[in-house]
This record gives sequence, structure tokens and C-alpha cells, in this order.
Amino acid sequence: MKTQAIYDQNPEATDLLSRTWRSPPGFFGWFTHVNQSRIGYRFIVTSVIFFALAGVLALVMRLQLISPENTLLGADFYNQLFTMHGTTMMFFFAVPAMEGLGIYLVPLMIGTRDMSFPRLNAFGYYVYLIAGISLYVALFMGMAPAAGWFSYVPLANIAFSPGKGMDLWTTMITFIEISALAAAVELIVTILKQRAPGMTLNRMPLFVWSILVMSFMILFAMPTVMAGSVLLALDRAFDMQFFVAAGGGDALLWQHLFWFFGHPEVYIIMVPALGIVSTVITTFTQKPVFGYTALVLSLVATGFVSFGLWVHHMFTTGLPHLGLSFFTAASAMIAIPSGIQIFCWIASLWGARIRFATPMLFVLGFFAIFVIGGLTGVMVASIPFDSQVHDSYFVVAHFHYVLIGGAVFPFFAGLYYWYPKMTGRLMSERLGRWSFALIFAGTNLTFFPMHQLGLQGMPRRVYTYLSDMGWGELNFAITIAAFILAIGFLLTLINAVVSRTRGVAAGNNPWQAETLEWATTSPPQNYNFRHLPIVHSRTPLWDEPDSSHRQVVAGLRADRRELLITTLLEAKPQSVLIMPHPSVWPFLLALAVGFGFLGFMFQPLLFVAGFALSFFMIVGWLWPRKPWLDTGET
Amino acid sequence: MCPAETTRLNFAVDATHFSRFHSGSDAPIWWGIIGLILIEMSVVAAFVISYFYLVMINPSWPPIGHPASELLWPTASVVILLMSCVTMYLASKAINRDRITAFVTHTSISVVLACAVLVIRWQQFQTFDFRWDEHVYGSLVWTISGFHFLHVVSAAIGTAVVATLGALKFFNSKQRIAIVVDTMYWNFVGLAWIPFYLVLYIVPRLT
Repeated sequence: MKTQAIYDQNPEATDLLSRTWRSPPGFFGWFTHVNQSRIGYRFIVTSVIFFALAGVLALVMRLQLISPENTLLGADFYNQLFTMHGTTMMFFFAVPAMEGLGIYLVPLMIGTRDMSFPRLNAFGYYVYLIAGISLYVALFMGMAPAAGWFSYVPLANIAFSPGKGMDLWTTMITFIEISALAAAVELIVTILKQRAPGMTLNRMPLFVWSILVMSFMILFAMPTVMAGSVLLALDRAFDMQFFVAAGGGDALLWQHLFWFFGHPEVYIIMVPALGIVSTVITTFTQKPVFGYTALVLSLVATGFVSFGLWVHHMFTTGLPHLGLSFFTAASAMIAIPSGIQIFCWIASLWGARIRFATPMLFVLGFFAIFVIGGLTGVMVASIPFDSQVHDSYFVVAHFHYVLIGGAVFPFFAGLYYWYPKMTGRLMSERLGRWSFALIFAGTNLTFFPMHQLGLQGMPRRVYTYLSDMGWGELNFAITIAAFILAIGFLLTLINAVVSRTRGVAAGNNPWQAETLEWATTSPPQNYNFRHLPIVHSRTPLWDEPDSSHRQVVAGLRADRRELLITTLLEAKPQSVLIMPHPSVWPFLLALAVGFGFLGFMFQPLLFVAGFALSFFMIVGWLWPRKPWLDTGET
Repeated sequence: MCPAETTRLNFAVDATHFSRFHSGSDAPIWWGIIGLILIEMSVVAAFVISYFYLVMINPSWPPIGHPASELLWPTASVVILLMSCVTMYLASKAINRDRITAFVTHTSISVVLACAVLVIRWQQFQTFDFRWDEHVYGSLVWTISGFHFLHVVSAAIGTAVVATLGALKFFNSKQRIAIVVDTMYWNFVGLAWIPFYLVLYIVPRLT
């Protein structure tokens, strides 16, 4: 039968497959793309742009602090800058960047053609884009939120932050979490149901494990901040009393709701980073990672324990001491799974012939920076110490070490490592090494002195200070160092742009890695794999070096988007899923939802209008096809 | 790809005759809806926990001068929503046997029951003797009520669409995953009223 177009070796079938999975070209076509590699790529590029924007904000802040009583910025604009810097880095860079890597790589690593819900994927991206653009438009109009990235009440209440900036923050946080939750759900489902035949859970690449753990954490952490920010929005819009003491509300309720999300958030960012570290170490030592099971269990344990730590952000709020002690213990406990992982990695590196390419350098940088951040973490987990340094530059130093060490270094390692897969070209090693050296030196020079400033009493979030305080010299040095750090980041950015056209052609597997994403072309075709692979071990590419003898799946049709569903634990072939076509509905839905949320800030009734509009978009999106039985199918 | 290379491919799994239809946990969308329900349950939990937190820090609950609301109509809502879960179950049974008319009838009854609940709730809103901006008690009652109201509206509209598509013969015993997941979500919305009912109407009588 002609339409059958059996999934075989002939070149016509390949052409047909290619046409079936094609992303429509052109400007209007752009809004209909659903292929996971396109969406993942957009997530990564967009998050890097937000990273750069937030970095520029940080430099402007550093310029303000270069000398005592500097007048470059006013207090209110400075408040907007640090709020936007934190909000962007946490919500618009770190989480989407990790999710972007997950969306791009997971289907490739588990050997499938796309994510489970491609249109939801696209929707998540547009939501993210709209939220980010709205916040930055507000910043340029001078009406950005200014109550810090965790928006503590009562400062964030309508009485003390009367402008639209805070409203924008509450609505956009709710909005961006929709994007994160959508990505989390489909990453989970894709990982559980679409693994290549034979890829049992204990053969799954560690990066995929880390994305799975991250997604589950998002599932349980993000709803809390959504609920919290909705309550804050209601307080502000309708004079509700959730966080207003006079009306029986409570300011600490906000802190609980926020940090119940906020602490897992740190690990939501870090867990995928740990997955990157394991991946890079495996490849650059060319041997299976030491302690696979221990590493997986540590990731899962980190996920669980991270939900029991949130109160350590609230040690100075006057909560009962007995309760606080529990959170100190839990905070110390998280060092156990982290320690196990570090030891597994050391054991992996021990005696191996390490290839010191740029990704590996960033991983080694991660060790140094992250361990320093971890050590100060143990210090601030102790209540008496925390009471001294709370809200000081010591804490600023601590969390920048943790986040830059725990997320940015591994992300850059991942960027250098997977760039050839995504673009087909290698990034320049030379520029990469320079970039690494400057980032490593810059990070330490910028943030290490902040420990000292904190111990000397400099509070965080002050737009200026008096020269009598004696903080001038260190601040001057830090500002210079911040620019060194920025140049380091800039070099990688330049490297990424230039290598896009001038890089050395990479081939399928430039690093001789072992996981499935390297089994296909670089960049992958829209259908990812010409033949879906079958897996027999944790390191398929090392165990079956002869690509022509690989076992593959036959019988998927090429004339419509089909992929294989497998069982949850054993990954036994189960059925075939027919995937949706490119569609503009996700974009329209994102617009409708965005209209509802942004409209709510000005006129609450517009939320209802957005709700109604969304209904039509959802029906258009989900409109089912008539049964296919008449074509004689099983 | 050069033919010489591909001739040696080893087709170890042949998916030609695998089913293209899913009706349960073999379908990704089934897991997707489980994910959505988990997310919403986390939101419900966040509201309920916030409620108890605020009960704990307030000296009198409900605030003096606001007696706890009467129970008749809220309890009726619980019963009606549970009934609608039963009619949705019957609708699923009907589509499993390809009985389209019975399917449309039962889904329509479910929608009507949901609308009855909406009318009752709307009526209740009129009788609340406190505003949302007076005290956090009012804020909670209005927010939780509104949250659940919106969910019943979504479930009713969604199921009305499913009933219409059913009448247009879009579904049958093989292609019914949309109905399966709609029913799952319906059950969640129906059952979510129980914890809300308990905190809004029973807890104020106990404190």
C-alpha cells in the first residue's frame, strides 16, 4: 500500500519522513513550530539572552557601588535593578536554561522523535517569552518591581509598593511558572513513556535522571509560589488581607509559601547541573562513571531533602528554636547526598586519562567554586552564625558561589559540550579556555571579597554607603573584578556566535561519547533518528561501536508523525503514538493567557476575557480527528 | 545514508501492527493529566495549609461577629458533585460499548449537575455576610470559593465540548482517550470540593 510507506531503508522513505516532520519555513511558520529540538534551542538561546541582560544590570549596580556615596543611580532605580537581576537570573535564566537543555537533549538521549506534548512545549516557550519581554519593557519604562526577587511583604504590599511594578511581578511569576510546569510535566511523561526499547530505568543516562528529578521537584515546588503570588496579587488588587497584619493576615505566611518553593528552586537549578557534570566526566574520562546507582539515589535524595530546608531562609524571623534546629539538621543532611556525588566523581576521575577540553575545565571549575559555596552553606546553616551574617554581603557571596558554581559553570560546560550536537560545529577551544580562565578568576575576585564585606557589616541591597564605613577599597576591587567576569562570559557568547558559521565541522560524535544523542547527525534532523534505536546497556555507543549493526525499530510510518511508546520500568515496546502537526494555536493560547494576566493588572475583568479567549484557543488546539478506523487500521 | 550501510540494519522490533489507539495508562496524555492533577493538588494543599496557618495565628476563628455559615446548600453541592462523578463514570461505560446516545446523555447530565452546583454556589456568594477585604477569613472564603468555582466552570465547559464532539461521532470505544482524561479531571474537580467544604464549613464550627 502506497500510504503505508514502511519505515525502511530506502531514500524515498527518508525524504517522506523528512517532509512529515518538517517545521514550516518563513516568518509565520516560526509561530507554528513544535519540534522539540526547535523549541529546546529557543529556550536555550532566549535564556542566554536573559542571562546577558541580567548580567548587564549587575554591572550597572557594580558601577553604582564603585565608590562611597556614588550618585550614578537613585535608590529606587537601584532597587529595581537588583530585583530584576535576581528575578531574571532565577526565573528567566536558570530554570528555562536547564529546561531548554532537557527539552533539546532528553528525546535524543532516550532515542525518540519528539516530546509527548509538542504543542504544550511550544506554548510553554511563548509564555516564557511574553513574561520576560513584559518585565523588561516595564524596566525600560522605569516601573519594574523593586521589592527584591523574593518580594517580602509587607514591603510588597500595596501600602508600601503602590506602583504597577509589583503587580507585574506577581502576575508574571504566576505566568512563568505555567511555562515551567508545562515543561516539567512533559519531560516526566516523555522520560517515563518514550524511552528506546531496552532502556530500562537503570540504563537511563544520568542527565536524563537529573532532568526527571528536576521535573518532579518543579511539579511540587512551583504550585506553592503560584498560590502565594496569586494571593499577593489578590491582596494588591482587591484589598484582600492575606499578608496584612491588621486584617488578621500574616507576613510570615508569604515567607513560608515563597521559600517552600524557593529552596527547592535552588536544587531545581542544581540537579540538572549535577547531571551535566556526570555526563561530561564520563565522556572526558572515556569510562563509565563510578557509582551510577549511588549517583542516581543521591539525585533523588537531594530532591526529597530539599523540600525540608526552606525555613533556613527564615532563621532571623523569630520562629521557635526547636523548629529551627530541625531545619539546621536538614540543611546539614543535604551535604550527605552532595558529598556522595562529589566522591563518586573523584573516584571517576581517579587514575583516568582525563581530556582537558573546555567542558571538562568548566566541570573542574564547578568543583572548586561549588565546594566553597557549600562550605559557607554549612556555616550559614548554623543559626548563631546566620543571625550574624543574615542580609549581609556574606550571604550575597555565599549564594553567588552556590549558583554560579552549581549552575552557571555546569551550564557552560554543557553549552560547550552539546554545542556541536546542536549546530554541527565545534566551539573554539582557544576562546573557550580564555573564557573559562576569565570566568573562574572573575568569579573568585568578584565574590570572595564579599565574604569579608559581609563580615565587616555591609548589608545587601544598599544603593550606596558612607566612606567612613571603610568598605570603599573592597567595593572598588569587586567592581573591577565584575568586569573581568563579564568579559569572560562575553568571550563565550562571541565564541558561540562566531563558531555557528566558522567552527570546525563536528561530525556525529566529536567527543566519542556514549549516549544516544551522539548516534544521530549534528544537528539532528527534525525526526531525530532515521531509525529509532534499541538499547542493551548504559553506554550504547561504546558497546556497539559499529553503527551499521545497531538494532533498530521498524514499522513506524513515515507519512505521519509516529513514535514508539514503551513501558514505564522495562521500556518494552507497547504501542505507537501519533503526534500532532505544527500549529499556531499554542501561540494564540499564550497570547490569550498573557492578555488575561496583563489585563488583570489594569482591570480585573479582563482576566475573565482572557479566560474566555483561552477557551476557544484550547478547543482549536485540541480539536480531535475523526476515528481512523475507516482506513482499515488496528 | 548510503544503501550499503543500511542493508545491514537489524530490525529487532517491528511496530507495524502495534496499536495506534490508547485508552489508559499507555497514553502519554493520561500521564499528562495525572501531572496536571498533581500540580493542582499542590495548589489545593497550599490553600488548605495557608488556611490552617491563619486559623492558628488568629485568636478567634471565624472572627467575632461572623457565625459559621449554614450547612445545607454547601452539603448539597458535595452530594451533587459526587453524583456528577457517577454520571461521568456511566458515560465512560457507555462509550466503552459504543453507545453514543447514552454517552451524550450522561455527559450532558453531568454538565447540568455542574451547572446546578454553580447556581447554588453563586447563590451562596450573595449570602456571605462578610467581604473579602474585611478580614483574612473573608479573603480565604472568597478566594477558595472562587478558585473552585472557576474549576467547575472549566470542567463543565470542557465536558460540554466533549459531549458535543461525542454527538458529532468523534469518539468510539477505540478512540476515547479524550473522554478518559476529561473524566479524570472531572473527578478531581468534584473531589477537590471535599477538602474545601471541610475547611470552609466544618472547621469554623470546631474552632
